Amino acid sequence: MRILLVEDTVDVGEAIVARFERIGHTVDWEKDGGVADEVLEVQSYDLLILDVNLPALDGFSILKRLRQRKSKTPVLILTARSQIDDRVDALDLGADDYLVKPFDYRELEARARALLRRSAGESTNQLVCGQVTIDRGSRAVAVNGIPIDLTRRELTLLEILTARPGRIFGKDELVDQLFGFDDEPSANAVEQYVARLRKKLAGSGAEIRTLRGLGYQIVCQ
Amino acid sequence: MIRAGRSLYSRIILIIAVVFATGSVVLGMAAWFYARVAADDAYDRLLVGAALQIAESIYAQEGTISVDPPVSAFETLSLSTNDRIFYKVVDPRGAVLTGYDDLAAGRPVAGTHAPLISDGEYRGFPVRMAIVERLVSDPVAPGWAQVVVAQTREARVSLARDLTLKALLLVFAMTSLAFMAVLFAVRRALAPLTRVERELRSRDPKDLTPLDLEIPREIQMLVTTINRFMDRLSGRIALMQRFIADAAHQIRTPLAGLASQVDLLTEESRQERREQQLTRVKERTAELGRLTNQLLNHAMIIHRAEVAEFDTVDLAALARQTLISAVPLSLDRAVDISFSDPQEPVLMKGDAVSLREALSNLIHNALKHGAETRLEVRVLADGDAAVVEVVDDGPGVPVSEWQRVREPFHTQSASGSGLGLSIAGDVVRAHGGEFRFRERSDDGFAVIMRFKRHHEASVPIDGGDAS
Repeated sequence: MRILLVEDTVDVGEAIVARFERIGHTVDWEKDGGVADEVLEVQSYDLLILDVNLPALDGFSILKRLRQRKSKTPVLILTARSQIDDRVDALDLGADDYLVKPFDYRELEARARALLRRSAGESTNQLVCGQVTIDRGSRAVAVNGIPIDLTRRELTLLEILTARPGRIFGKDELVDQLFGFDDEPSANAVEQYVARLRKKLAGSGAEIRTLRGLGYQIVCQ
Repeated sequence: MIRAGRSLYSRIILIIAVVFATGSVVLGMAAWFYARVAADDAYDRLLVGAALQIAESIYAQEGTISVDPPVSAFETLSLSTNDRIFYKVVDPRGAVLTGYDDLAAGRPVAGTHAPLISDGEYRGFPVRMAIVERLVSDPVAPGWAQVVVAQTREARVSLARDLTLKALLLVFAMTSLAFMAVLFAVRRALAPLTRVERELRSRDPKDLTPLDLEIPREIQMLVTTINRFMDRLSGRIALMQRFIADAAHQIRTPLAGLASQVDLLTEESRQERREQQLTRVKERTAELGRLTNQLLNHAMIIHRAEVAEFDTVDLAALARQTLISAVPLSLDRAVDISFSDPQEPVLMKGDAVSLREALSNLIHNALKHGAETRLEVRVLADGDAAVVEVVDDGPGVPVSEWQRVREPFHTQSASGSGLGLSIAGDVVRAHGGEFRFRERSDDGFAVIMRFKRHHEASVPIDGGDAS
C-alpha cells in the first residue's frame, strides 16, 4: 500500500518510514507542508500520515484542502500540541484518527493498519478481516474462501464493523445505519444480528466483541 | 481587579448629611406649626378678654340699649403696637350700636355664652376675629347682643417667627454637633483598616504568615479571610516548589538513564547485551514521553482549575466518550471493557476538558497497572451525587498506600510517573468533589470520583418512556 508521510522531524520520519517499509508498504516522505500539498493534488495515496506543525503549510491546512478536493484518503494526524485543542480540531476537519507525540510505535502501526484496511476495501471493493472476505460488489461473504450465507441485515452489519476495525460502534449508531424509515428499529434486534453473525463467523479470525454499555467492535486477527 | 469605588468615608458622610438635612427640615416645619399655635393661643386670650369687656359694658335703659366700651379693653389689645383693631356691637334687633358696620356682616346670632374665635379677612387684611354674645334682659327688646372684635395678625406672625427661629437655631446647633461627632467616629472606626493596610504594605514579600493585630469584631472576618488566603497561597507555593523539585528529579533520572544506556550501546559489541540495552532505551524513552505528557496535562489542569468556567456537563455521555477514545487498539491482552450508566443524563457543573483528562488518566492507570481481564466504567446518579467509578480486576492499591498514591510522583514502579491519580485528585478537588478508593472485593478494585449532581430546573420531567 502507498502511504504519504508528512513530517519535518527527521528522527521521527526515519523511524516511521523504516517501520512501514519493513511490513511491505511504499512510503513517500515529505518534510515541507507546501510540497506535500502539491504532491497530494496529483497523486493519490492509501493513507496520509500528517504532522501538524510543518514548514510552509501546516497539517490542518493540508487536511482542509484535501477534504475540499473531495478526497477520501484516510488521514492519521500526529501532533505534539496540546491534546485537548488538537483532538477537536483534527476530527472536525475530517481526520480519521490522531495520535499525540510521543507515541508508541505499535499503537501507530495498529491504527494505520485499521485505516489501510478500510482504504483497501474501498479501492478493491473487498473488505478483509481475519479469514473473512466481504465482496461489496456481489455482496458475498466467504470464510477461508468458502462462501457463507448471511441475510441482508447481517451483511450490512458486518460491512459497517469491518470498514473500521477496532472502532467502537454504539448500539444507537448501528440501529440508525441498519434500519430504514419503514422498519421498526430496536436495539434488541441489533443484539440478535450480532449473536447470529458471531455464530456464523466462529473461528474465522474476525471477532465481534461486545463492550457492555458502549457497543460493539470487530477485532481482526 | 480592584475598581476604585466611592470612598467609605464620603459614603457615610453623605448618608448622615441627607438624614440630618431631612430631619432639620421636618423639625423646622414642626417648630413653625407649634409656634403659630402658641402665638394664636396667647393673643386669642387677649382678644376674647377685650370682647368680653366690651360685652360687659352693654346696658339697657328704658328700652334703649347702649354700649360704652371701656378704655381698658383696647389697652390690652394695643400691646401689639403694629396691629389694627376693628370692632362692632350689634343689639338684639340687629342694629349696629357702634363700630364698623361691615365687620363680619351677616353673621347670625348663635345665642351662646361661649366666645367664638375664627380666622377671617377684613378690608384686605387677614384678621383673627372673636365673637362674644350677651343676653340683654330689657323688657322692650330682650335678646342677644353681639360683640365682634377683630385684630390683624402681625403680632402673632412675628411671635411665631421668633419662636421658630429660636427652635431652628437649637436644631442647627445640635445637628452640627452630631455631624462633627459622626465625622470623628467614622475616622476612628476606619482606622483599623488603615492599620491592616500599613501592616501588609510594610511586610517582606516572602512573609506569608498570618496577620497578628488587634482589630474590632466587624472587620475580623475580613482579616481572617486575608489570613486564610495567605495560608492557601503559601501552601500553594510550597506545593509548587516541591512539585518542581520532584519533576526535575523525575525528568533527570530517566534522561540520565537514557544517556548512560546510549553510551553503553556505542561501546557494546555483544549482540545479546546490545539488545538488552536497546530495550532499556526504549522503555526509558516511553517513560519520558508519558511523563512529559502528564506534566503538561497537570499544568493545564491546574491552570484550568483557576480560569475555566463551569458548564452543565452530562457525566454519563462524557464518561462514555472518554472510555471509547481512551482504549488503545494495541492492547496486548484481551481486557473486557464495559460501561454502565443510569440510561439518562447525569448532570453536574464542571469543566468538561479537565473532567475528561481526569477520567482518562484513571482508565489508563487501570489498563496499565490494574485490569487483568476486566475494566468497567460506571456512572451513577446517587441522590444528589454524580458518581463515576473505574473498576478493574487487578490487585488494586493497598489501603496503607491510599494517601500516598494521590501525591504527585508517588510511584514506585519503573514505568509510571505517578501523576495520573494526582491529576484526577486535583480535578475532583477543583470541582468540590470527593476522590476515593474502594477496597478490592469480588467486584474488583474501584477508583471513585464523586461530584455534586446538578438538577436542571428548566427541564420538564418526562413521565412517559417512548420505547
